[in-house]
Amino acid sequence: MSKTLLYLLFAIYLMASSGYLLHTVWRRSSIASVSLILVFAGVILQTALLGFRWWTAGYLPVTNLFATLFFFSWALALIYLYFELRYRIRATGLFVMLLNLVLLGGALPRDPAVSALIPALDTPLFSLHIIFSFVGYAFFAMAFSIGVLYLCQSRRNTQLLPDLQTLRKINEEAIFLGFGLFTLCLVAGSIWAHVAWGHWFSWNIKSIWSVLVWMFYAGMCHAKFIRRWQGDVYAWLSIAGFGIVLFTYLGIGLLLESNHPLE
Amino acid sequence: MLLNNSAKNNLFKLWAFGCSLKLAIALASAATLLIMGGSLVMHYNPAIFAGLEQETMGRWLPQAMSRAPLLVAWLPLSGLCVLLFAINTLCCLLDWLSRFRARWRKSGEYLIHAGFILLTIAYLWGNISGFRSGPHRLAPGDRMSIPEMPGYQLELEEFTPQLEPSGRPLDMVNKVALWKNDRRVVQKIVRINHPLIYDGLVILPASFGQELRGFRFHMPGIGFVDLTPGSRLSVSSGLSLVVDNFLPDAGQDRQGRVIPAGSRLNNPALQLSLFGPTGTIWQGWYVLRRPLPEGLVNAGIYLKPVEPVLTPFSLLTINRDPGDKTALAGGVCITVGVLFAFFSFYRKRATGDRPEI
Repeated sequence: MSKTLLYLLFAIYLMASSGYLLHTVWRRSSIASVSLILVFAGVILQTALLGFRWWTAGYLPVTNLFATLFFFSWALALIYLYFELRYRIRATGLFVMLLNLVLLGGALPRDPAVSALIPALDTPLFSLHIIFSFVGYAFFAMAFSIGVLYLCQSRRNTQLLPDLQTLRKINEEAIFLGFGLFTLCLVAGSIWAHVAWGHWFSWNIKSIWSVLVWMFYAGMCHAKFIRRWQGDVYAWLSIAGFGIVLFTYLGIGLLLESNHPLE
Repeated sequence: MLLNNSAKNNLFKLWAFGCSLKLAIALASAATLLIMGGSLVMHYNPAIFAGLEQETMGRWLPQAMSRAPLLVAWLPLSGLCVLLFAINTLCCLLDWLSRFRARWRKSGEYLIHAGFILLTIAYLWGNISGFRSGPHRLAPGDRMSIPEMPGYQLELEEFTPQLEPSGRPLDMVNKVALWKNDRRVVQKIVRINHPLIYDGLVILPASFGQELRGFRFHMPGIGFVDLTPGSRLSVSSGLSLVVDNFLPDAGQDRQGRVIPAGSRLNNPALQLSLFGPTGTIWQGWYVLRRPLPEGLVNAGIYLKPVEPVLTPFSLLTINRDPGDKTALAGGVCITVGVLFAFFSFYRKRATGDRPEI
């Protein structure tokens, strides 16, 4: 993949984020619309790049940190578009796209070359595991962003952000969809582990923390029914949950060692 | 026997407690915190936890508890929390089933609950009555008994390692057969991500290597011959040469007898017997670094060593998880549940029927 195209993609998302920033200052809907078009353009370019990498490699090339950051960024941008088109959340895009820039910015200095596939990863179950995992992570990232904005809105009550009820609704939807997809990721991963290593649950630290992510968000899917935990507490839980996701995704690989095949 | 009102009230309270959402959150939180801390204990004590992947929890835990009870205690404690959480989930599921007509729209969510219960049962079942063994070293033609499964034998019929031109392993193609009471019950090509699964057994390749089996020689008038233990070579005028033994690294004891010195190729030697029409003509060791023994020279046999004969062997893992079908049923329940919950969520949002999740 050409680095030039990657920098172009980064520039498009940077312009979109800047547009959302200007929108928060000048409050002109035309600027937000241009930003949305830029996000669209970025998603199309990123989808094409991802598709090209997949086509040339012959398998879903999400096997190293560059590729996972790139895929995560793509999934987050796509999910932002979904929520934007569904709820017209506008200024909310600033925070989500900044998070997306961090992910893509983390990928840029790394080598984009597609690495050789470990034989054990050569199965459609791996592709399913990865797709569900990172799309699930992206929904959790969205919930994190919405959680932060909910706390901002509950303190500042600004016209820039959607009302608390809408933010809560989006947050719960992101958690619900993220949890469902992450559940499918664990199902696919367990079946794959069974055929690759002969046991469907492995006691490596990444698998353990994946179960913890699942349990945490399963808890969140229930916590919304407890009145005291609605609102601010739920927003804080969304932030804490994403902390667990980040530790599972990056912390284990960077700080600890794991015998998970993607480490 | 009829229950009085007080007993009924107590039972009702107990049931309500069993189904309580707060209890679920408390148990899940306790398990989460214990496992979080435990995973770090596990990471910083690899010597204690190294065997956890090679054995089932049922076999590993008692040994580990006797060696380092304080470091391992989080496992049974978190296991207990998860088990109680599963019981709580079961109560919720039964409670929902009793009100199915009114709450059928929640079928997706409760299928996920059912899947979680099945997975908990499957894990307990598999880890208490299953086993993990290996890797077992088998060369093509070898057959081994599976000690944990009396009557069962595993045979490696053929083995072909697949390598890239750079030498990087690509796959391990094992043609294996499973025998039960001397009757072949299943035969399959086992390779990476394609195990043999039969009666809860999962047989899969772990690795492979090469074993020195003998040496290749050039014999004038005959050509290249491979001499490995058990091979018999007919030479001219009714003579036959039999290979009794092969040592990749031969040494000598104080009496001058040839003894094995190692398993790596260093000083190879063959123990040979030369038979004629009337019986044994010569018997002895041929150390390849030394000149050909006189017994062979006198019989007109000339062997020129060319290269070692290497036979690939496969390392196979044999696991048994009697809970695997239950786990699969749990996975199916969860998958269907998630899909149904997604559908039901958007349906409810579209129709305005209880728009909150």
